[in-house]
Amino acid sequence: MSEQNVSIKDLLGLSDEEMLKPLPIPTKWSQPFWDAAKEHRLVLKKCSTCGNIDHPPYLYCTACQADEHEWIEASGKGTLYAYAVNHFGVPFPFWDDMPYVLAMVDLPEGPRMISNIVECDIEKLANGMELEVVFDDVSGEITLPKWKPA
Amino acid sequence: MDRGEFAIIGTGEVPCGNYPERSEFETAYTVARAAIRDAGIDKDEIGAVVCAQHIMSNPNNDYNTEMVFGRLPEAIGAKGCRITCMTSSGGASSFSLRKTVEGILHSGETDTVLVVHAQRFSTFTPNEQAKYFSIAGSDVEWEVPYGMTYNALAAMVTQGYMAYTGTTIEQVASVCVACRKWAMLQPNAMFNKKEITVEKVLSSRMVAYPLTAFMCNVLADGGSAFVMTTAEKAKKVCDRPVYILGDASSYSHRTITRSKSRDLAKMGESMAPVAREAYEKAGLGPEDMDIYQVYGSYPALQLIVMDALGICEPGRSGALVESGETSPGGKYPVTTNGEALSFGHTGTGVGIALLVESVRQLQGKAGKAQVEGARFLVENTGGGAFMDCHFTILGNEIPH
Ligand SMILES: [Zn+2]
Repeated sequence: MSEQNVSIKDLLGLSDEEMLKPLPIPTKWSQPFWDAAKEHRLVLKKCSTCGNIDHPPYLYCTACQADEHEWIEASGKGTLYAYAVNHFGVPFPFWDDMPYVLAMVDLPEGPRMISNIVECDIEKLANGMELEVVFDDVSGEITLPKWKPA
Repeated sequence: MDRGEFAIIGTGEVPCGNYPERSEFETAYTVARAAIRDAGIDKDEIGAVVCAQHIMSNPNNDYNTEMVFGRLPEAIGAKGCRITCMTSSGGASSFSLRKTVEGILHSGETDTVLVVHAQRFSTFTPNEQAKYFSIAGSDVEWEVPYGMTYNALAAMVTQGYMAYTGTTIEQVASVCVACRKWAMLQPNAMFNKKEITVEKVLSSRMVAYPLTAFMCNVLADGGSAFVMTTAEKAKKVCDRPVYILGDASSYSHRTITRSKSRDLAKMGESMAPVAREAYEKAGLGPEDMDIYQVYGSYPALQLIVMDALGICEPGRSGALVESGETSPGGKYPVTTNGEALSFGHTGTGVGIALLVESVRQLQGKAGKAQVEGARFLVENTGGGAFMDCHFTILGNEIPH
């Protein structure tokens, strides 16, 4: 556990492979999101026919099934809708991060996202607090958008 | 489906808990025979066998593959079997299995169907279980890379529900206490030895804030089965058939972020029309129910479903549970087997166990947990990341 300052990897003799965090495997229709994230831009898939914004995105618009779409630049602002703090019983690769915060973040553009809240004391978390996006380059290929207090 | 067209006439169950020596096959064969005997029919009357898909299979002797390819009828000697199949919708499997059975019965191909569930989790390591349950409720592309887990999913729903309804953590904990009280009356429950208190629930280890260890269900080995038939046959072969009087369903989402009900305080209210539709189909109302079988799997989810049942103001379910009225002896008996929290979480079997307990109650076979004179009840299930909800009204008579 984190407060013991001993890595779960050393404690249990886990291999590097067992400690690998799962990364998103982009699909044909989500690749532009991850390409933009790598450039530290947050984008959303907007239907050119009906204006619906889908997140997570799918092959075609979930409102009207049209293919035509554009990727719009999100404001990078959000509000904290609800949250949880993982203290125990997570997969090994996340063990040394405990306690860490998972949250539902509402975007002014409409979608809600699951993400981590970072750079914030757990005691200061509050429903409705203003957030702004930050980018965590977790591998050469993948950058995860996360959120911190605005 | 016409009201009371189909009935369940027998059930079987094994103790739920830590049974690493008991394979899924042993469990399946055991509960199958128990259900056939309880139904009082000959095994050769079984015309179809429907198995619940289980999760985290042993790759060397895959239960799902064996059951898909007809192992069960052979092993139990169901010589009159004509149809086998497997189905699943996660936690909602009790409902999708039953609808599959209704389709088979309606087709006229047979008038007697056996449904079986079996699961063994204890032979997997805690990390294998943790890994599986991080992807079971969460999206592998959009959520799992953030360290999302099933407990965290339930925790944020709980946190939001509390924040936006004013429900207290003590009220959430009281759901666990009530479930334990019911489980204490169940010989097959995983946790039926020791009562718990709100203080004990709250002081147990923090797992996913605001959920402590006692608010998170424990994976368990278990299984259950039931025999379903037409009302016509049920009346001939069974003293006390349990009729399916009405049901209704809704689906919302795969990923919680796309829930049709974005307001967690109103999640229960959004299910209320579904519950109402089920009551109406049965020609009954919430006040006619003797028992309310709620599948929450986590305490706040039980409260959310209770908000839909028409027994209290939406958002006030926590106060109702805290008052003790949902516990044994209360006015609104809720979840009489103790559910995932105290009976044990057997994967796709939690809802099936609750359906089996519902039948036992209406047949007067529920032992110490028996709600005296129970005639009608509402049974609920749902699966995934709280993706859907189903309400079924069951009764041991068909109201006119
Ligand atoms: Zn569209």
